[in-house]
Formats: sequence, C-alpha cells, structure tokens
Amino acid sequence: MSTPAGTWKGAADRLRDIESVTDAGLARLSVDDLLDELLDRVRDILDADTAAILLLDSPAGQLVATAARGLEDEVYQGMRVPLGRGFAGRVAARKRPVAIEDVEAADVVNPILRAKGIRSLLGVPLLAGDRLLGVLHVGTRAARHFSPAEIDLLQMVADRVALATQARISDTERRAAVVLQRSLLPERVPQVPGLEVAIRYSAGGEGEVGGDWYDLFTLPSGWVCMTVGDVVGRGLRAAGVMGRLRSAVRAYALSTRSDPAAILDRIDRMLRQFEPGEMATAVLALLEPSFERLHLSLAGHPAPVVATDDGPATYVDAPVDPPLGVAASIGRRVTTVDLPPGGVVCLYSDGLVERRSVPLDARLRLLREAVSARPAEEVCTTVMVDLIGPDRPTDDVALLTVRRLDFDSAEPLDLTVPAVASSLRDIRAAVKRWLATIGAGPEDVMDVVLAVGEATSNVVEHAYGPRGGLVHVRLELQNHDVLVTVRDSGRWRSPRGHNRGRGTSIIEAVTDELTVDRRSDGTEVLIRRRLEAGPPR
Amino acid sequence: MTTARVDVASEGGGVRIAIAGEVDLANAAIVEEQIVAAITNQVTGVSVDLGGVDYIDSAGLRIFFALGPRLAGLQITLELVAPVGSPSRRLLEVSGLPSLVTLQPPMDGAAR
Repeated sequence: MSTPAGTWKGAADRLRDIESVTDAGLARLSVDDLLDELLDRVRDILDADTAAILLLDSPAGQLVATAARGLEDEVYQGMRVPLGRGFAGRVAARKRPVAIEDVEAADVVNPILRAKGIRSLLGVPLLAGDRLLGVLHVGTRAARHFSPAEIDLLQMVADRVALATQARISDTERRAAVVLQRSLLPERVPQVPGLEVAIRYSAGGEGEVGGDWYDLFTLPSGWVCMTVGDVVGRGLRAAGVMGRLRSAVRAYALSTRSDPAAILDRIDRMLRQFEPGEMATAVLALLEPSFERLHLSLAGHPAPVVATDDGPATYVDAPVDPPLGVAASIGRRVTTVDLPPGGVVCLYSDGLVERRSVPLDARLRLLREAVSARPAEEVCTTVMVDLIGPDRPTDDVALLTVRRLDFDSAEPLDLTVPAVASSLRDIRAAVKRWLATIGAGPEDVMDVVLAVGEATSNVVEHAYGPRGGLVHVRLELQNHDVLVTVRDSGRWRSPRGHNRGRGTSIIEAVTDELTVDRRSDGTEVLIRRRLEAGPPR
Repeated sequence: MTTARVDVASEGGGVRIAIAGEVDLANAAIVEEQIVAAITNQVTGVSVDLGGVDYIDSAGLRIFFALGPRLAGLQITLELVAPVGSPSRRLLEVSGLPSLVTLQPPMDGAAR
C-alpha cells in the first residue's frame, strides 16, 4: 500500500515543484487566495488528500484552522487545537517537522481527520524567525512514508505561508487598532463655555498604535473632568484596554464625589480585577464649577504644566502615586492649584517628553518653556513644534491644553435641551459655569440661576403638550448686564392646579427687567439683570 | 436628575425636617411625599430646615404653600428655617410665603 520513496520524481520534477510553490505570480494574490492556491499546489505535488493551515491564537494558546483543502469543515467549524496536544499541537510545540505513517498508533485529537480516514500525516511549523505562527500539514488516506525531500518541500511552502500570514496578521491588527483607537478617542471634546480646549494626538512607533488616551467632559454638578493616560504596551490589545479605561473614567467620575484620587482608586481596582496584568499611568484633574481651582491626582504620570500671566510656566508640584493596575495602594493624594483667568494647563502623555538619547530633564525644560498663557491652540502648536519637530515620535503623544478664558472674551452661552424636568438641573449647572466665567458675584449667581430656573421650569410645565419639545436658553453679557433669553416653540396654556404661576413674580423680584413675548409659534422670555459689582477687571 | 436629602428628627412634641440638595420640578413631588410622611397627627409643630438647600424654586415652594394652610387647620405650627444669605432665604423673601408661615430667623427689611 505505501508509496515507495523511489517513485519520488527526478531532479527536474523537483525543481519544477519548487518553482510551483515559489512562483512570483503568487505574490499578486491576496493573502487568503495565496493560502488556498498554495494548499492546492502542495496537495498536487505531494499527492495528498488533505492540506491545512492552522494559525496560532497566542493569548488562547491554541491553533485555529484558517485555510484547508479536503478538510474545509475544519475551517468552517473554527476548529481549535491546544498547543502540545494532538498532531498539529505537537508540531507547534516542537517547532520541527513531524511525520506519522499511521495515525491509528498515534494520538490524533481531531475527529475530522479521523472521519476523513486519514492514515498518514506530515506537518511542519510556520515560523517567523523563532516565533511560531502556526502549522501546515498534509494528510493521505493511504499509509505513506514521507521522504526528506518531501519534508523539505513542505517546509519551503510553510516558510512562504509564514511570510504571507505574518504580513496579514500585523496588517489586520494595525488597521483594526487604528480604527479602534480613532473610535475610542473623542475627535472633538465638548465646548465648555468659558474654557478653551485644544488637543494634539500623534501615533508614534512605525504606525502601530499605542494606548494613550485623553478626555475632557463636564459633569452635571458643573465640574469639568480632564484626563490623559497611557496604557503600557502597544497594538490592538492596548487600544482595547485604553477604550475601556476611558469609559470607566467617565462612569466613575459621574458616580463619585468630585475627588480625583477616589476616581483613580476605583479605576485601579477595576483594572486589577478585570484586566489583570495590564498597567496604565494617568493624570486626572477636576476643575471646580467656578474654574477657580484645579484638583488633580497622578498615577505614575508626569505632572501637568500650568502657566499664568504672572510669569513662566511651572510644573504642578504634586506627589506621584503608583500607576494603575499594579498593587493595592492606599491614600492616593490630591493636589490643588489655582487657575486664574487666562491661565493655561497642559496635560500630556510621557511620549511627549521621553526621547531616547536626550535626558528627561532637558525635555521637561523644553516643555516648560513652550507653555505660556496664550490661546490653547497656539500653546499646542508651539509645544508640538518645539518637542516633536520634524521627527516621528517613537511613542504615542497625547496633549490636552485647557485655558480659562478672560472675562472679556466670554462668549454667550447657548443651550438647547428637551423641555423636561430632568433637564433643569443641567441648565442650572451650565448657567452657573457661565456666570463664573464672567466673574459674577455670589448674589448675582443666586438670582440669575433662580430666574433661569423659574423661566425654564415654566416652559417644562406649560409650553408643550405630551409631544414635548425643546427649550432654548441664551445668556450674554451686555456691558454690566446679563441678558437671558428663554425660548420655546410651543403653544402655552394657562397654569392648572393650585399654587402655579408664581414663577413670573419671582423672576420680577430678583431681576431688573422681564418681558414675555407670546406668539402663535412660541414664546420668548427676556430677562435682564444688572450685575451687582460689574465684572472684575 | 435633581436630588435632595430629607432627614427627619423628633424634637419634643414636634418634628424637625432637614432638607439638603436641590428641589425643582423634577423632584418636588418626591420631597413633598417624604415631608408629609414625616408629619404624624400627633406632632404639635413642624420645623423645616432649608439651610442645606443649594437650589429651590417656585416648584419647590409649592410644597409649603400647600402644607402651611393644611397644618394650620390641624393646629400644627410650621416654621421654615433659612439662614440669611442662603439661596432658599432669597427665594422665600420674594415669594410671599412668610405671610403664611413663620420664617426663622425673622425677616427684618423689605425684599430687594
């Protein structure tokens, strides 16, 4: 039954066989087509009944059937073989060719191979240098001895396959990681009235993405949360962890009292529980609703730079607590810094300041000199020009610059939200923030917030029927007056129930002017309030 | 969502209710329910401390506009405690509510 080695073809045939599997024309095929074509050719040459390629899924420690001829079921069923077990597993574990003349005598785990009546098997490893990528094997129904020349030929095909799949794996991973990273990082951060925000992100290291992230968002309480972090490692895995961390920061910030150390503590616990082995560094900073002060905590991360009109920029003098995901740490610390009007704060990942062959101190000095109390976009541009220049960074770089605007440059506040009771709190938070940016005093804030609260509450109660609608709120500064406009597009009905309709008299009592313009297509309420002391400076 | 905390403590024959947080249209009904539940038929007086309130508007005041006359009919006294300069004080002073219920500390001048 067995095919004698002597019938193996002559030298000329062998040469033709080798050409057949190294044919330059194959290079034009896509990787999937190339694998199929190579399997066809190798089956012909070696006169085999089956040929299959299994690729290594390294986190799982398993081989996954990826392409097959005569064994297509394997691929369709996503067959997996643990490393070291079964035939393919043994080839992978030894990283050497393995031939079995009679599977009956050996342990073949694969039921598909058994069902196909395969008697003899020859398998070779797919290697990239020393690294195992997978296994290529052929099988015959007739019992068969594989000659050294046949083994060499199959190994030659395997090398070809290894090259192609390596390119495919890294290409797919890289593209997926880039897509993932883009989808995970906010392209734009929310516009916060009274703040100027600018962002730079640069993927370093030959296009393979890293795990850097940045984020800035407002909380219902009026606090602004900003963060820059860096997941250790690169590629798809790091990008995935980064995305989960960024979501977790948002979730914990929403549910935790305004304490950056408490938020980082929870992230740390989450990482250790659900992503063991992953590590990240981060700076988390919370800006008070008044924008006056910034509270921050560092988890193995470099300190932000702060610049004010008063002098050169400085690094925030904050203690560095352990990175996230390393070990249970007690007592993360919070540092508080003032952010006067016009002040700038820069959060960045260490890719910005770490450069091989340049001492860290020199890079840190360069960064400090590049930051000043100027518009956020300008600061970002200067920092990137001075620190990155024309060279591709070796690591990812994330840079988040926030500037507290001067009172003079305060833009009007424009809000459009659903006219429902649950919007009222958010409206008040936004109004408080805006009033802080124009330097309104505590009594002004109390009265304007109350007036806006009453006017918007009226819209929620009376403007729309069950279909609902929107309420627009605008606040602008006119000399020393705050002008409030509350607009809806509903048709008002008169108040129902007891003790309704008191809002209007309250607005009149706490402001200087109230006009209500009720039209068929909606109502516009104008409120004017003179600021007690006028804006400072 | 607007949130407020309502703490209740017995004080002699009366009850002291401390409200903290914010009260607006979104949670006024919930706060009212908690206040009413704290007032049994046996108490002789109710004191509501609004010192911890960061925001309250007319939707929140309705609770007391309704509660004042009802308690008066039951011969239960109602006093509202609002420190001078607090957000609730400001609102109470311009709302006309002090003509119905006792305000602590008492008002001394006219509202702005």
